[in-house]
Amino acid sequence: MGSPKVQAALADISAEQDPTLKCAKLASLCSALWAEHGGELVVVGGSAIEILTDGAYTSGDLDLCHTAAALPLPTQRQIMGLLQAKGGPRNWQVAGMYLDLLGPVESLARTPYRRIEGPYGRFLLMKPEDLLVERVFISHYSGGNEEARDCAKKLIAVILGGALAVDWNEVRRLANLPEYRNLSQCAALVKDVANDLEVDSPLHSA
Amino acid sequence: MWLMTSKLTVPCIPLDGSISYEDWLKGRRYRRELGNRVAPGVIRRQRSSSDRRLKKLFQGERGLPFTPTEKL
Repeated sequence: MGSPKVQAALADISAEQDPTLKCAKLASLCSALWAEHGGELVVVGGSAIEILTDGAYTSGDLDLCHTAAALPLPTQRQIMGLLQAKGGPRNWQVAGMYLDLLGPVESLARTPYRRIEGPYGRFLLMKPEDLLVERVFISHYSGGNEEARDCAKKLIAVILGGALAVDWNEVRRLANLPEYRNLSQCAALVKDVANDLEVDSPLHSA
Repeated sequence: MWLMTSKLTVPCIPLDGSISYEDWLKGRRYRRELGNRVAPGVIRRQRSSSDRRLKKLFQGERGLPFTPTEKL
């Protein structure tokens, strides 16, 4: 992608006032530039949940991890320079928002990363199977976390509503792993949401 | 994969393959509405370790305001 194209994309992202679209566009541009150097990025955490659910959850930052080996720091700096980013080496300000370049992506699910053919190139999103089980886990952590619970409920609603495909067998497997051991909690929350939406729950703890 | 709802046809973010940006955009309102049936409309965290930098950039807020559902 030549500099004029990058500058046009930056102008578009800078002018974007919808936080979800701004995240998606910046993820698309960064992923395209990383891919040109053999790198691969994944949108993780709340940014991924926002793009998967439009749940009005995201803040003004975008979290990105890398799948294989990280690009060398000089290459990363070269790309961030092209993006006129300030800061670094992990936390950057670019196009009117923050971009955090984190470490290698951590996923326990065997399903594929979800993929969107963005306006500047394809970008990857963390697997919703991981996100679901993790948010339910956080929602019960340290006496309860209502924000994580609401976030998990919205994710489940989008899945049960048919707008996001997941592998429920994989959700069940993850929730049974020693890292989580929260299948009964996942099943209970999925049942709650299923009841609200008046559909059958696909996840049972027995 | 596409879903037939009572009012419109909504594309699904698939397990395999990819979804086009246009199809992802088409599903925004439906996804937002589904979430709003089970949790409050805006669930942005009230605080985090990034508060200082976020509030500096977004005039005291933690991010840009969300587009209302009816405008998606």
